[in-house]
Amino acid sequence: MRGVTKTFGRLTAVGGLDLEVPRGGLYGFIGPNGAGKTTAIRMLMSILFPDEGTISILDHASALEAKDRIGYLPEERGLYRKMRVRPFLRYMGRLKGLAGADLEPRISAALERVGLAGVDRKRCDELSKGMSQKVQFVAATLHEPDLLILDEPFSGLDPVSMRTLRGIILEEHDRGATVLLSTHVMPQAEEICEHIVMVHEGRKVLDDDLAAIRRAYDPRTVELEPLNADADLSRLAAMPEVEHVRPADRAQEVRLRRGTDPAEAMRRILDAVPAARIEIFRPRLEDVFVDLVGAAPTGLDEEPDAGAPPEPGRTGGTT
Amino acid sequence: MTRILQVALRDFLAVVATKGFLFGLVTMPAVAGIMVVVGPRLFDDGDYRIVGEYAVVDPTGDVAARMRAAVEPEAVARRRLAGVRRAMGQVPEAVRRVAPDAVPQSLAAAAGPVPEVSLTLLPADTDLDAAREWLQGNADGPDEPRRVALIVIHDDAVRGGEPDGALGTYDLYVHPGLDDRDIDFCHEVVREAIVDARAAAHGIDRSAIDRLLDVPRQSSVTVGAGADGETVGGLNRFLPMAYMMLLFIGIMVGGQNMLASTVEEKSNRVVEVLLSAVSPMELMAGKLLGAVAVSLVMMAFYVGIGLALLASFSLLGLIDPWLILYLVIFFLLGFLVIGSLMLAAGAAVNDMNEAASLQAPLMVVIMVPWLVSPAVARSPESTLAYVVSFAPPINTFGMLIRMASTQPPPWWQVWLSIAVGAASVVGAVWIAAKVFRIGLLMYGKPPDLRTLMRWVRAA
Repeated sequence: MRGVTKTFGRLTAVGGLDLEVPRGGLYGFIGPNGAGKTTAIRMLMSILFPDEGTISILDHASALEAKDRIGYLPEERGLYRKMRVRPFLRYMGRLKGLAGADLEPRISAALERVGLAGVDRKRCDELSKGMSQKVQFVAATLHEPDLLILDEPFSGLDPVSMRTLRGIILEEHDRGATVLLSTHVMPQAEEICEHIVMVHEGRKVLDDDLAAIRRAYDPRTVELEPLNADADLSRLAAMPEVEHVRPADRAQEVRLRRGTDPAEAMRRILDAVPAARIEIFRPRLEDVFVDLVGAAPTGLDEEPDAGAPPEPGRTGGTT
Repeated sequence: MTRILQVALRDFLAVVATKGFLFGLVTMPAVAGIMVVVGPRLFDDGDYRIVGEYAVVDPTGDVAARMRAAVEPEAVARRRLAGVRRAMGQVPEAVRRVAPDAVPQSLAAAAGPVPEVSLTLLPADTDLDAAREWLQGNADGPDEPRRVALIVIHDDAVRGGEPDGALGTYDLYVHPGLDDRDIDFCHEVVREAIVDARAAAHGIDRSAIDRLLDVPRQSSVTVGAGADGETVGGLNRFLPMAYMMLLFIGIMVGGQNMLASTVEEKSNRVVEVLLSAVSPMELMAGKLLGAVAVSLVMMAFYVGIGLALLASFSLLGLIDPWLILYLVIFFLLGFLVIGSLMLAAGAAVNDMNEAASLQAPLMVVIMVPWLVSPAVARSPESTLAYVVSFAPPINTFGMLIRMASTQPPPWWQVWLSIAVGAASVVGAVWIAAKVFRIGLLMYGKPPDLRTLMRWVRAA
């Protein structure tokens, strides 16, 4: 995507977005609800069209020309309620260009891979939410796409299913598929992605390898569990390199000022307050995001189950 | 193209491979068949017997006696036979051939048992209030006939009155709640008696008049380029209506199925999954194609039944095979216009309730041909017929009615209407495609007209 902009009325859902995903990449496309991720993905898929900018996908100017090579799990997903699982997958497979004797065994194998062997004769309205989601994931990957675009793939899944799906995404990547995973739950992206593209209010605020991000953003938070529960913590707060101290569970979170050497700071902290445990946090994407945009906006880092897909607005459209 | 066919096949099978579709398909002919077989029995009033006592005030002295004769069983039977002969003249020859005896028998049976009516002659100077009291009074005993009517013959009913000799009539007073058939019989008897009395008063032989008036109606012969054929009464009304009904059913059922499936796909959130595999235009084209196939299956079924029925009555020659071809052409044009707009309506809303409000204007438009079809079928060369047969989107209905009428339009008008239809298809599909593409992913408040216009103007 080059300089892609999409507006709905007065709302700029995506503003001048550049996004480049190399072949074989495993990219996390993250940002809070309403950041413009789904709109950007829909433009990638040629479901929506940009007001400005250009898109190139798998060497084509439009996803319409390469749909058979793309697997897409949309945020707004569903099934034909009265259709049985196998006919649904057969239908989706045929729409993706699969046919012939290869299709049926491929469906069986794909269902088995997600732990749904034996449900192919069930009607879709008999499936649980997690099972439905897995069937939709199978529909998106049945044709072994070169590019896999997953919009909030983990929403609504229990931890076991989440782990299964995470494993399959990594398998798809190992097979050679390029993966673009969109989520507003940043730890999920942190767990599997190699590269992070972070958007906020329709604009890109970060685009880098995860390792580079971790290197670039100094660890600035130290968790301290005082040896003595009644220890005087005011000495910590008075230290020049400490930005603030605040309770976190049974410990204290000590936030260091930018530019502080964390090793030196930890030694001085231990001198001031003897500790049962002291630990330095790696920067989380959430911290990076807060650092970049100044404050945690609504919708950031919610629990997966609470992160139900936003209902696209009538006037604002989807974001 | 493969994707379009896949979408069409799924939508087609999702409708036709259901018990509901098969049930709906056979319901209409089954109901029609049941009505033909059971209807006459359900509505059979052949056992209704006209019974009662009429009081007559007859200052002319000529009518009452003739009324007494007119209610005699032989006289009633004679009049009914004449009625049956007249009715038989209206029945197509083919039907008469199929059941030569059954038709007159059923017509005679429909008249019911012979009436059992007695007359009481009241004095000519009877006060009207007193006569009305007679009508309201009870019968003298359980075996006495019930009092049902009071007939007052006017002084001038037979010989005319001063100054210009104009002939008068009669007044009829009846008991509350009297059946229409009793009242009709009263009128029939009084009329028969007065006409008879007038003929006698003028020295004319009534039976001679009846013979003079009796001209048996014969079937007309339609003379064509091929063999001559019997003209079937009511054909000019029946055939256009039959064609229009087929067109209407085809468009409405197909359009309704398509609208419902689009609303379902949208409300189930399956639509974006589909859009990952097909473009909005492919999806729309596939849905239109699937619904067209559903409607064609249904229409072929009904046309087949109709042709089989006509063949069984040896009336197959009434159908012009070209009209069936034009029915298909006009169906496709009408369906693509109305169907694509219904598809757009389905994409723009969230559920069937909301769809109803967007569908309403379309339904009103489709009802116009229904309302004007009798007039167009009767006068296929009228200004109204011209307007209806060229104004989109109802021109497909209007032109088909004219073509099936007894005065078919010239070929250039037919093809001009087809051209208008084709242009309408392009316009409707263009509008529908825009609304479809944008509406599919919109949830929340259903769009108003202004929003729809904005969508249409959008890229």
